[in-house]
Amino acid sequence: MNYWRAVWMIFAKDFREEVRRKENLAASFFFAFLALVLFYFSVDPTRVDLGQSGAGLLWLVILFAGNLFMGNTFRKETETGTLQALLLAPVDRSAIYLGKFLVNLAFLLMLEALILVFAFILLAMPVGEHLGWLAVVWFLVSIGYSAVGTLLSSLVAQIRGGHVLFPLLAFPVLIPLLIAASSLTQDVMIGQSAGSVRWLQLVGLFDTIFLVAPLFLFEYAIEE
Amino acid sequence: MDFRKWRILLWAIAAALNAAGLYMVFFFVPAEMTMGEVQKIFYYHVPSAISAYVLFALAFAFSLLFLWKEEPLWDSLAHACAEVGWVFITVVLVTGPIWGRAAWGKWWVWEPRLTTALVLWLMYTAYFLLRLFSGHDARTARVAAVMAIVAFFDVPIVHFAIKWWGSIVHPPKVSLEPAMRLTFLVTSAAVLSLAAALTLTRASLGFDEARSLAEEAQ
Repeated sequence: MNYWRAVWMIFAKDFREEVRRKENLAASFFFAFLALVLFYFSVDPTRVDLGQSGAGLLWLVILFAGNLFMGNTFRKETETGTLQALLLAPVDRSAIYLGKFLVNLAFLLMLEALILVFAFILLAMPVGEHLGWLAVVWFLVSIGYSAVGTLLSSLVAQIRGGHVLFPLLAFPVLIPLLIAASSLTQDVMIGQSAGSVRWLQLVGLFDTIFLVAPLFLFEYAIEE
Repeated sequence: MDFRKWRILLWAIAAALNAAGLYMVFFFVPAEMTMGEVQKIFYYHVPSAISAYVLFALAFAFSLLFLWKEEPLWDSLAHACAEVGWVFITVVLVTGPIWGRAAWGKWWVWEPRLTTALVLWLMYTAYFLLRLFSGHDARTARVAAVMAIVAFFDVPIVHFAIKWWGSIVHPPKVSLEPAMRLTFLVTSAAVLSLAAALTLTRASLGFDEARSLAEEAQ
């Protein structure tokens, strides 16, 4: 089978399945909404201007809510034994990784779109003015999160009770990405661009490293 | 694996150097002018940081070797390096605030290098949780090796992210008095040799453990 066709088929299979079952996505999207409401209650809105300093908060919500589905990327496969079948398929194993990565990226972008709407309506954050830039930044950051998340979730899927470990493994690795994402988002929201190039380079470096490395590492990560 | 001779030699060197280092820190080297006696923590703080970084780099290299060759020896070495590296990065995180309390007036400042050490501590603690949750089989070793590689790839990115994010800085270049430089060299050698001795001992323990478990399973 053609490599990219294999990637596409894994993507299509997982996407369709999750959209039909809705288990992980419903939990994740609801959690994101809930967390934003909780965060709002935890700050004094008369003293904290979320438009000036709320970007990091949005990213925390994305990180926490995203881990609800990303940590389960391979869980179903190991539980039902379909992983064996996938591994037996006559296709390079990095195709499995890329397919799963694309599913996670798609779900993450959906989650982020939802969070943007909530942030705009509920928290009155100035996310509408430079929506194009915001989309570019969030897309680039999402690549990094999905790349790391997909690789690490393949690791924890092989360990009993491993899904508890996913955020513990992923969040420390994602710290530089969180710092860059928060700074960039804040800069876009207040219409400032000094220093942004540097952060974009950092995100680019993170994306490149963690998208290329798994293509080689995944082979070993998931071996039977 | 029998590195017995090497182990004895390394422990002897480490003991001698550490005795010399302790003597120099307490009785030989003068106290720094502005910070006073507390500055002497520097002679262990910095070498611990160097040891931790060297050990994490070695853990990365041994993890790669293990994935490539699949020999348990490399896994034992990677595990030992990560574990001893974790101990030394913990020393950095404990001695840093003690020094910082005297130098900056606060226990913890979100200063780039200290913060980088904290992020490393978080990543390698997660690595041990991964080992703890799983068992002693080859799969665990492989999964842990991948995590060690991911963590190591992250280090330079963490370094830059935190440098650009933070504002307070370490003194960029420290110029040391001759007596201070000599003491620093001796304590560095002492800490590094201690790290090497600990790592080798831990690795041979881990290797024997893995082998006896494999024999039991057969």
